[in-house]
Amino acid sequence: METLAFIVIGIIADISLILLVNFIVKSYPKWSGADRRAAELLRAVLTYEQYCQLKRRGYIDIPSSRDQERAYRVPHVPGLVRVIEKGRQTASLCLQPLERVPDADIVVMHKLMIEGDEETYRQTANLIAPQCGGDWDD
Amino acid sequence: MRLLRVISKRGDERLHWNEQDALAGDAEAMAALREAERIFARERARGATAYRVEAGKPVERLEQFDPQASQMILVPRVAGG
Repeated sequence: METLAFIVIGIIADISLILLVNFIVKSYPKWSGADRRAAELLRAVLTYEQYCQLKRRGYIDIPSSRDQERAYRVPHVPGLVRVIEKGRQTASLCLQPLERVPDADIVVMHKLMIEGDEETYRQTANLIAPQCGGDWDD
Repeated sequence: MRLLRVISKRGDERLHWNEQDALAGDAEAMAALREAERIFARERARGATAYRVEAGKPVERLEQFDPQASQMILVPRVAGG
């Protein structure tokens, strides 16, 4: 009788373990090959400081090559890029690829366009003036 | 090794070639170089913008394929949102 009880408990424990593993595997966020490659490219392109800032604060500040007091705040998820001048947000810029790409690649694109040809970047993006003074709320 | 990356929905697609071997006439390296040039031209025709990205140097926009660049990245066409 005691042996039978051990066997039943053992079977129940095995089933529970299988269900738990199945639940963990299914609920774990799927990371596609595209996302993995995009994350690798992002890490390769950003400076150490930018990468740390992105991980810590969720955005990177890319300094303007034309104006020492201007920077572009690029979020890690698709969205508006904020123009920061003298520590205050003065405008937002909206620019997006015409084809769908992984989120990390969008950060790479903003960085390359701002650092590689800031003037064209500003001309191409839609500029949105800030509302209510437009202070950046960190 | 030189590297061409093309950003797309599949993440960046990569093409490597050995510049020294291509200069020395190695058939495989020359074929890889020609393929990189072909992809570069195709993506530029589609509206992509090319950048030279090299460690320790400022990012530079490229109008033409540069076989000497250690890394080129092609960004797909963008528009104001």
